[in-house]
Amino acid sequence: MLANVSSQIAQQLLDFFKQYLKGCLIPAFAPIPDEVIRKRLLIDGDGAGDDRRINVLLKSVTKWCNSTGTPEEGFTQYQRMMGTLAQCEFSMGKTLMVYDMNLREMENYEKIYTNIEQSITSAHEKIAECKKEIQRAKRIRKNRQEYDALAKVIQQHPDRHETLKQLEALDKELQLLSRTKENVDAKLELRKKQFHVLLSTIQELQQTLENDEKSDNDDINQESPAENGE
Amino acid sequence: INPIWLLLHMSVFSQSFSPCGRFLAAGNNYGEIALFSLSAALSPDATALSQKPVLTFTAHDGPVFSLLSNDSQLFSAGNGEISCWSWSELVKKNAKPLWTKRPNYKSSLEIPEINAMIINPRDNSLVVGGGDNNIHILDLEHGVFKSVLQGHSDYIHCVSVREREAEILSGGEDGAVRMWDSRTGQSVHCVEIYKYESCARPQYGKWISCLTTDSDWMLCGGGPSLSLWHLRSLSPTSVFPLAGCQRQAAFYQDMILAVGEGPFVSHCLLGGEVKAQIPCTPQSLNTLQINANSTEHRVLTVGGSSDHIDVFTNLSYKTFSLSF
Repeated sequence: MLANVSSQIAQQLLDFFKQYLKGCLIPAFAPIPDEVIRKRLLIDGDGAGDDRRINVLLKSVTKWCNSTGTPEEGFTQYQRMMGTLAQCEFSMGKTLMVYDMNLREMENYEKIYTNIEQSITSAHEKIAECKKEIQRAKRIRKNRQEYDALAKVIQQHPDRHETLKQLEALDKELQLLSRTKENVDAKLELRKKQFHVLLSTIQELQQTLENDEKSDNDDINQESPAENGE
Repeated sequence: INPIWLLLHMSVFSQSFSPCGRFLAAGNNYGEIALFSLSAALSPDATALSQKPVLTFTAHDGPVFSLLSNDSQLFSAGNGEISCWSWSELVKKNAKPLWTKRPNYKSSLEIPEINAMIINPRDNSLVVGGGDNNIHILDLEHGVFKSVLQGHSDYIHCVSVREREAEILSGGEDGAVRMWDSRTGQSVHCVEIYKYESCARPQYGKWISCLTTDSDWMLCGGGPSLSLWHLRSLSPTSVFPLAGCQRQAAFYQDMILAVGEGPFVSHCLLGGEVKAQIPCTPQSLNTLQINANSTEHRVLTVGGSSDHIDVFTNLSYKTFSLSF
């Protein structure tokens, strides 16, 4: 009966540890199909590490249950088995912690991933903004250059104030000159008239003198024939 | 004839982008037009084959000096006649012209070549300038030549349209840039560029070979230096110190791009300084086009005395070349 109990215990232990083995062979973040588990178990079937320890423990449990010998030997064997059990528990604890750590690393990576995505989209937006800015700046530069080019041409022409002042000065000169011209014209007219008067008076005098001479001559001529006639 | 020699002697005279912006049509001195697929050449998995034309056909007997597109058609000019092609048919590789017309030339002995064409969007007409010293206006709706603008004393090199004031500008071999009112057909202004001391370069001559305008300003050059003119006051504001004669110039954002003699594209600022000269494959360039019809294929293409057409995705350097 003891043998039966021991084998039952052994079987339960085996199931428990197979379950645990399955658990620690599966990576923390992806479900692996049975195929892979089977292959891994086959590869690492009876190899080093936990698996071997469990098998050894199982064998030692059955041997211990069916052992015949001194109680001291049995006790040492029991101690040894407890030691192995403790080792297995320790390694299981370690694996659990590693699993936790992996989960947390995953979360961390997810966070970083979303951050990067956000910064990518914001960078895209900034690029679009900057492109628009560039277009605007180019238009402004073109306008400024057109303005400069026109300004260059305009500078070549003389200042408006200057020209206006020159025009005013010229106007005044013109007026002055026209007034002088009028004066001179008036004087010319006056002199012309005076000369005309002078000349006509001279002519009249000449005429009168001629007439007088002629009448004197006539008188003399009239007298002499009259004297001759007597 | 050895095809390699044909390629060596080829010159590209004109280019035009399709209305969707995905294709480039280029005309050369053999009268052929080649269609290149820009989307294939610019895609990340482009091969050397995608830099070859998807379609090449002979459009005219003489060189194709001018190509122009509106929203659905491609107009090509060569050997005195104008042909119209549908872009959708060309994309399907069907090279049959929709129509071919010839302006009414006075002399029937010599057929003058057509050097330049532009579309006047106000009344949907095609303005054609050619070797007979006249500008012919073709009404695109009715398909008839409705008027002739006479005034130049020598053949016309280039035409442009001043959209805001409904004027047509033309520059020619006689050194005069004439502004015509598109409604009355009268010559409104006539500016003889070579008479202005700041622009004139008597060692090159007086002909005007490139003319472009953006309603307030005008760029013109050729024999005289490339100069920027303010149209309202008809005065030259800046003269660009570029050696050689410029054959095509364009306003782009805040810069001026000019091509001509010399294997480079000149970038100039409106103030008159030359900012950069980007080297290209052809030894001298004839045509420059910016693809304004598409945002993802916004490239600059230049062609000249070579069978290669350089494509610039970034204005500062040449990205690759398409070849006939």
